[in-house]
Amino acid sequence: MKKHRGIKMLYLILMLIFLYAPILTLMVLSFNASKSRSKWGGFTLDWYISLVEDGAIISAFKTTLIIAFLSAFIATILGTAACIGMQTMRRKFRRLILAITNIPMLNADIVTGVSLMLLFIAARMTMGFKTVLLAHITFNIPYVILSVMPRFKQLNRNTYEAALDLGASPIYAFFRVTLPDLMPAIFSGFLMSFTMSLDDFIITHFTKGAGFDTLSTKIYSEVKKGIKPEIYALSTLMFAAVLLLLWLVNYHPWTRRKNDGANKKKFRALPGAAAVIVTVLCVSGLLSGCGSSAAADYSNPNSLFIYNAGEYIDPDLLTEFEDETGINVVYDEFETLEIMYPKVESGAAKYDLICPSDYMIEKMKDNDLLQPINIDNIPNLKNIGESYWETARSFDPENKYAVPYCWGTVGILYNKTMVDEPVDSWSILWNEKYKDQILMQDSVRDAMMVALKSLGYSANTTDEKELREATELLKKQKPLVQAYVVDQVRDKMIGNEAALGVIYSGEAIFTKRENPDLDYVVPKEGSNIWLDCWVMPKSAKHIENAEKFLNFLSRPDIAYRNFDYITYSTPNTAARELIPDEDIRNSEIAFPDLTKMSDLETYSFLGEKEDRYLNSLWREVKAH
Amino acid sequence: MPEKLIDLKNITKRYDENVVLDDFSLYIRENEFVTLLGPSGCGKTTTLRIIGGFEKPDSGTVLFQNKDITDLPPNKRELNTVFQKYALFPHMTIADNIAFGLRIHKKSDAYIRDKISYALKLVNLEGYENRMPESLSGGQQQRIAIARAIVNEPKVLLLDEPLGALDLKLRQDMQYELIRLKNELGITFVYVTHDQEEALTMSDTIVVMNQGYIQQIGTPTDIYNEPQNAFVADFIGDSNIVSGIMIRDKLVEILGARFDCVDTGFGENRPVDVVIRPEDIDLVDPKDGTIEGVVTDVIFKGVHYEMCVMSNGFEWIVHSTDCFPVDTHVGIHVDPFDIQIMHKPESEDEKAVAVDE
Repeated sequence: MKKHRGIKMLYLILMLIFLYAPILTLMVLSFNASKSRSKWGGFTLDWYISLVEDGAIISAFKTTLIIAFLSAFIATILGTAACIGMQTMRRKFRRLILAITNIPMLNADIVTGVSLMLLFIAARMTMGFKTVLLAHITFNIPYVILSVMPRFKQLNRNTYEAALDLGASPIYAFFRVTLPDLMPAIFSGFLMSFTMSLDDFIITHFTKGAGFDTLSTKIYSEVKKGIKPEIYALSTLMFAAVLLLLWLVNYHPWTRRKNDGANKKKFRALPGAAAVIVTVLCVSGLLSGCGSSAAADYSNPNSLFIYNAGEYIDPDLLTEFEDETGINVVYDEFETLEIMYPKVESGAAKYDLICPSDYMIEKMKDNDLLQPINIDNIPNLKNIGESYWETARSFDPENKYAVPYCWGTVGILYNKTMVDEPVDSWSILWNEKYKDQILMQDSVRDAMMVALKSLGYSANTTDEKELREATELLKKQKPLVQAYVVDQVRDKMIGNEAALGVIYSGEAIFTKRENPDLDYVVPKEGSNIWLDCWVMPKSAKHIENAEKFLNFLSRPDIAYRNFDYITYSTPNTAARELIPDEDIRNSEIAFPDLTKMSDLETYSFLGEKEDRYLNSLWREVKAH
Repeated sequence: MPEKLIDLKNITKRYDENVVLDDFSLYIRENEFVTLLGPSGCGKTTTLRIIGGFEKPDSGTVLFQNKDITDLPPNKRELNTVFQKYALFPHMTIADNIAFGLRIHKKSDAYIRDKISYALKLVNLEGYENRMPESLSGGQQQRIAIARAIVNEPKVLLLDEPLGALDLKLRQDMQYELIRLKNELGITFVYVTHDQEEALTMSDTIVVMNQGYIQQIGTPTDIYNEPQNAFVADFIGDSNIVSGIMIRDKLVEILGARFDCVDTGFGENRPVDVVIRPEDIDLVDPKDGTIEGVVTDVIFKGVHYEMCVMSNGFEWIVHSTDCFPVDTHVGIHVDPFDIQIMHKPESEDEKAVAVDE
């Protein structure tokens, strides 16, 4: 027996470690004086202090509380009202409605998030506080119903009738008798909603707009830039807060049916105090929130709204620009261009400057979403090399709409120790010698481009015969390919796991630094050249501020610092002169001589129908 | 005769396809203690709820002091209800519970205070003002529920199986308490129960109901001693109900033997039901009985023995203070006035049809 108990204990301990080790690690690290994740540098509260001093995080914290409080409050009222309604329904119908209200809870958050985003876009609502609040109310209502409905069933229906019997009107009877009886369940429904709202990331992520962040979206965008110890501290605090709320929901006597009336008053004090604290926090947040939310107000003339891809600018430059001009920058990041496009098209997101790629610029221009940029007002644009303006003309023939920002090529990254012949042609990717040593991009346009170029066709062809030929060629290549991947090309090549890989030039600079055996080449048959540019949507209002920003970004010193941070090739020739490292300044990878390279093509927008056709061909290759 | 206080006229009530009350009529006089008695599902609680205003009849009218109150909501009716599960407001003190109706009717604080202490005294719970309902026992809670109802001085008090959740001893005590209250207050009680003993103990008038029809209305003595049909006889106390043939007035044949009785007017050689209460059967020496039998079972019940006697294929239930051991041959004797003759229902339906008063 005793032996068995030991095993049981051991099992329990293992299980607890398994469950709580991650969060404990986080908590311990939040008190670690050393920034290292593996070394203990003594106990400190510094990270908590610097957290409190971080204005952006504190403002996100306030927003989170306001959203959580308001959404939980409104959802509690709506959910309770729904329960009252359902209570009077016939059993069959009530069950049906109850099941329907439960579905959103079981639905994947990402589905809820995306569908809410689509709904808001369709309704032409501007993404921001309002949309996030609506979204949170929506997903909170089922939790309130879940909490209140069972209590309704337990309710002694006679107490309500007894009140009527004693002369109370139905409304008086409800508020005086039924509601107090439901209160514990309503309160726990409120706390549950509050917790869910605090916790939510995915739905907020999809429904938030310019300059709006809750703690979870703030943490997410901070983590993308690298994990700072302040984030450990913040996460620890969030964990503690949610734990406290869950305890209140589940174990607090006030939310449970108590059996002993004598103890009641004593127990009431604590949750009462907690409720007061939550309310005070929220109200103070609400008041001060008015100030901070004014910052993200598009009607403020002294602001500039920017929409860029993730990690695509040095954030210090934004602060510097604000200090220099006094303009308030609201900076937002999009996941992919395909998510950005509908938001801008519908007017759900209002921005002054957006940074899309070539084909997307063409699409936006074709759909009349862009306004021309007055180059005369931006003197520093003279620093952009003529060849880049030339490239931009493939999608913006008069150089009216797009200001080049970053660019690059697609080529072959190879390991000099593993490949013995010179690499200068796409054909090496069909060489039997390198079976299982080849990495291809898992992307239809890039893969097709490789095949089309090696056949001597345009990367933008829509000729069915040429596309068919390319498809067959890719099928033939498939047995030689180790894997179709995206980011892993970089990691696998650094780790000497493959000999050849198709990759973007921006990544090539980085990988070469990590593994000197690697080299990058743009094959002689030609390749894709991509160019990201700043464009101004038609709805932009802060035109002068946008011009100031583009002028600032094109200043040689600023453009150089930005290049140093993001390592994507800059079209700013004056900035290139400032690069101290000669190898990089003259790197064939970062700055190939465009005039010497023929057959570099930008991708153009082929149309929806053609996109679908390409995708079907690509599926055919993958299934081969 | 006192006035008709409540008059239910041709009430019909259905839940979906299920007819609970069918063309039901009943009146209640002032200051009467009326008990609606019947098995569950007989429509007694529905009747009470229609009087209270919690249910609307599908057709028919409810008159209160000759005024039509059929569509009047419960909060506008001059009567109060005591519910089966007490239905005290759990988050209010006893005093607040009792004062609930008085406050709605905007009575003065002094009046309310007096009423609370009066009501608590009436139900023997003085000093409980500041207690919470959940700290009281079931019996105490039920008494508070009664106090809460009567402080409003209703003309009628409706009680829906108020003692159903109490244990036997408490139930008996409360029965006396209710009779005392009724006498002190001088108001009309309409009482619903399925417990025949409760009904017999407290009521002035018992209304026996089955399947939405009234089976018999009468005083407890009438109902017990002269049940008008087999259902009433069976439902009220234990009964021996046996088929017989009315030979002529005052003579009935049961199980092949002829018994003298006091009933007349059933015709000659008519099939009838005969009811004989177990305590009305005398077990005697076989040669002295009208019919012979053998004791098959004996149970000691405290006050008496309950015995089963088999005779000519019918098993009699007999209550007697004398014990006859199993297998004893006995004779059965019944005094003529202890034999109750009833018409045989001609169909199943007729069993449930209302009997004229």
